[in-house]
Amino acid sequence: MNASRGVALALAVSIAGSLALVVIYVVGGSIQQQGIGLALALGGMGTAIVIWAVALIEAPIEIEERHSFATGREHAVVVDSGTGTQEISRRRFLARLLAGAVGILGAALVLPAFSLGPQPGTDLFRTAWRRGLRLVDLGNRPIRLDDLVADSVTTVFPEGFVGRPDSQTLLIKVSPSDLALPSDRAAWAPEGCVAYSKVCTHAGCPVGLYRAKEHLLLCPCHQSTFDVLRGATPIFGPAARPLPQLPMEVDADGYLVALGDFPEPIGPGFWDMTHTPADGG
Amino acid sequence: MTGPMPRLRLLALVLLAAGAVGALLPGAMAKANHSASLREASHSSLASDSDVNAGHAVFNARCATCHGDAGQGTALGPSLVGVGGAGADFELRTGRMPFSGSPGTQAVRKPPAFDDATIRNLVAYVASLGTGPPIPEPRVDTAAVSAGQHLFIANCAPCHGATARGGAVGGGALAPPLDVATPVQVAEAMLIGPGEMPVFSSLSETDRNAVVSYVAYLQTQPDPGGVSIGGIGPVPEGFVGWVLGLGLILVVVLVVGRDWRGSRA
Amino acid sequence: MLTWIDERLGLAAWARAGLRKVFPDHWSFLLGEVALFCLVVLVLTGVFLTLFYVPDATSVTYSGPWAPLRGQSVSAAFDSVMRLSFEVRAGLVMRQIHHWAALVFVAAIVVHLLRIFFTGAFRRPREINWLVGIGLLLLALTMGITGYSLPDDLLSGTGLRVIYSVVIAIPFIGPYLAFLVFGGEFPTPEIISRLFVFHVMLLPALLIGGVLVHLAILVRQKHSQYAVPGATEENVVGRAFWPSQVFKSTGLAILTAAVLALMGGLIQINPIWAYGPFDATTVSSPAQPDWYAGWLDGALRLFPPIEITALGITIPSPFIPGVLLPGVAFGVMTLWPFLEAWVTGDHAEHQLLDGPREKPLRTAFGVAGLLVFVILTLAGGNDVVALVFGVPVEAMTNILRVAIVAVPLLGFGLTYRICRELFDRREAPGQRRASVRLRRTAAGGFEEIEPD
Repeated sequence: MNASRGVALALAVSIAGSLALVVIYVVGGSIQQQGIGLALALGGMGTAIVIWAVALIEAPIEIEERHSFATGREHAVVVDSGTGTQEISRRRFLARLLAGAVGILGAALVLPAFSLGPQPGTDLFRTAWRRGLRLVDLGNRPIRLDDLVADSVTTVFPEGFVGRPDSQTLLIKVSPSDLALPSDRAAWAPEGCVAYSKVCTHAGCPVGLYRAKEHLLLCPCHQSTFDVLRGATPIFGPAARPLPQLPMEVDADGYLVALGDFPEPIGPGFWDMTHTPADGG
Repeated sequence: MTGPMPRLRLLALVLLAAGAVGALLPGAMAKANHSASLREASHSSLASDSDVNAGHAVFNARCATCHGDAGQGTALGPSLVGVGGAGADFELRTGRMPFSGSPGTQAVRKPPAFDDATIRNLVAYVASLGTGPPIPEPRVDTAAVSAGQHLFIANCAPCHGATARGGAVGGGALAPPLDVATPVQVAEAMLIGPGEMPVFSSLSETDRNAVVSYVAYLQTQPDPGGVSIGGIGPVPEGFVGWVLGLGLILVVVLVVGRDWRGSRA
Repeated sequence: MLTWIDERLGLAAWARAGLRKVFPDHWSFLLGEVALFCLVVLVLTGVFLTLFYVPDATSVTYSGPWAPLRGQSVSAAFDSVMRLSFEVRAGLVMRQIHHWAALVFVAAIVVHLLRIFFTGAFRRPREINWLVGIGLLLLALTMGITGYSLPDDLLSGTGLRVIYSVVIAIPFIGPYLAFLVFGGEFPTPEIISRLFVFHVMLLPALLIGGVLVHLAILVRQKHSQYAVPGATEENVVGRAFWPSQVFKSTGLAILTAAVLALMGGLIQINPIWAYGPFDATTVSSPAQPDWYAGWLDGALRLFPPIEITALGITIPSPFIPGVLLPGVAFGVMTLWPFLEAWVTGDHAEHQLLDGPREKPLRTAFGVAGLLVFVILTLAGGNDVVALVFGVPVEAMTNILRVAIVAVPLLGFGLTYRICRELFDRREAPGQRRASVRLRRTAAGGFEEIEPD
């Protein structure tokens, strides 16, 4: 008795919900109203069916028999060619040839998959940075050394390539006396201004966080931390290589200019990254 | 909002407000310009000496222990020469200074320790210690929200999050949420780079106004999709999916799967 | 009407037999169904989304009602999801139900998998269905990752970058494979439309086909059962499919949809308008994938900075946690029925299920594996967890690095002991370990009464 009433009540809620949905849709209700209306319509219906199932349906326990498929199997039928051994070996050879042909055909049919993309070539070894290209910010404005303020960080690109992902570079100004770069790279950082590739050498996320007082760059994806004063050497996290440093100098007009591309491939590693790329450059 | 009535009400309010603004604006602008020039003046040699002296007195009592008698810095606190009015104003108005945490930890926002007049005096004194940025006067402009969003995502989101809910930035440091930061404080932070925050010197005043406008927008904009459960992405979403989603469904499973009629042997 | 159909297809006898089939009745057998019903919700809402989504990376100018993005250059894909969210009536609720359903779908599969594992339901003759099930899990994971990458927003695009980098890290074939899949050096315009083809056509076909095979095998082999009184290896004790089980399952299906609808309407998920369109030169923090890919991200976060170069060949650091670890994990999971049969020498058919405590070794391995998964998933959100507990991120990472080794070992040992203890007690229930009987002496002390 109670169960029947429960089912009826639940269905009434469901009907109310469904009707409410019509009104909500026509009038243009909020997402909360849409969700609640739908939840009532579905919830009422589902509750009704569950009450019906557990309380109104006679469902006695029944027992059914199982049969394993492993018992009572007939002996496998032997293919009987009914001919002499020469025939059998010829057939076997043909069967193997067929298998081989199918395999090679299959491999050949995969060939169009190689049209999906180009060969990597030197793409992973090069960015757009070249000798003589000025550093520009996101607004395509060239950067003057004198305009840089200590503890600042700016995302820069080669002039003409604003937004190009592989060339994104971080330009940071620190106090020159704090810098501890290797001797062959000290000249790449005029007056405490140093530039590193923004592409994390672990898995390629932009290294967007800069802790200015500690001079540490942090990548948010897996928390690789790079020491700006020491050539962006990783000091924590899964990155194993420093961020490549951009060689740069100041030109006659006071603008920052690249001396060339990064000295090693930017970003995450790949198996032949220590090789000199094909064009030798 | 649903239905025409709330929309009509809103429209009436907007028209009324526009009318009021239109009537009062010329007067207000004149006053603002006047006080703006006053504020500007206070950072030039027109800053009244009494303000600076009053500030110096409070400074000696409350700040010199860590920052030195002339703000030159000690082992306990950095030099304040050149932080400017903006620097002092930011730290004092957000209550970060005076610092009351463990040594070496990050200063966090708390209720300001001084009243408005004292802060202005201290700001005048610290500004006089060198040449640093004055207190900025940002404009919140709804038309700049889109430009602000673009700049925010490029410069601020890596630390503060796309939804400005803040986050851990490593080394025990936190980029705080921006839910209560005033436009002036946001502008000041970009100028001075408080704590571990870098100085965003590449942003022009227009850029800063745009960012300020976007932060103000974030503070007032309700979430279109419902309850935001933290606004920091898939971690709370996954948690809610398991606990609430699968949890509720498991309750249903236990109800449906239960032997209600006791016919089990 | 049914007679009309039967006169043409002759299904009556077959249907009658099917409806009379007996299925064992236990709540833990409903978990797979929950996953199935989530899939139904996903397909229904997914079809709706597909009718509005534009799988195109070409730049357009957003001109919709969401002010912070107005006038900005976004991809057509992103633009279509924005329009769906803000300009299509019921668009956002459908999107949110779809995404919540995806999260719960994989969660249900995992819980179902745990039930199958801990009760030994994968043993002969059900090894094939175990393999199908693992395949379905893989398909579900891939569906999820391809799906949430379709809006081309900042968060999911960052995830694609990580996937690209992990593929690049594969020795010898990595760069070639990555360039084939993506159509060039990341980011490419092709990847969005390719993900769409996988998410909407290829993977659903495999998934739905796999589900049908999974169910067909289940029906053919009949469901396994717990060792309730009356149950043997040669029978099935339960209730008839019609009407009881059909009503229960239908009710469960509709209520599952109700829960997902409630969440989709009330709780915001994946607010792409806040993240903005994907931009390869910036990133937002925190950066995580959806929960079911968190373990992979966690492995990348915890793994130490080891990069080996020898004989001109570099093994980049993401390779081991990003490729080898999941390969081994899924390999072990896939082969488990065969491994267990080989180790235990048990090649017999089993229709009766184990209680977890009856197989302490299997249960201990399962718990250890589950703990590895849970800790790696936590590690995927280590910066958020660090924030919640007020601990520096570095400390959290190091704690988890220790935990990933220590906790599963501890869990293994503890689980084994507990299972043995519980099982031993059940095997010989009357025989409690003898308690010590004491007698108070005249002097005031106690002495033991020797047992008889």
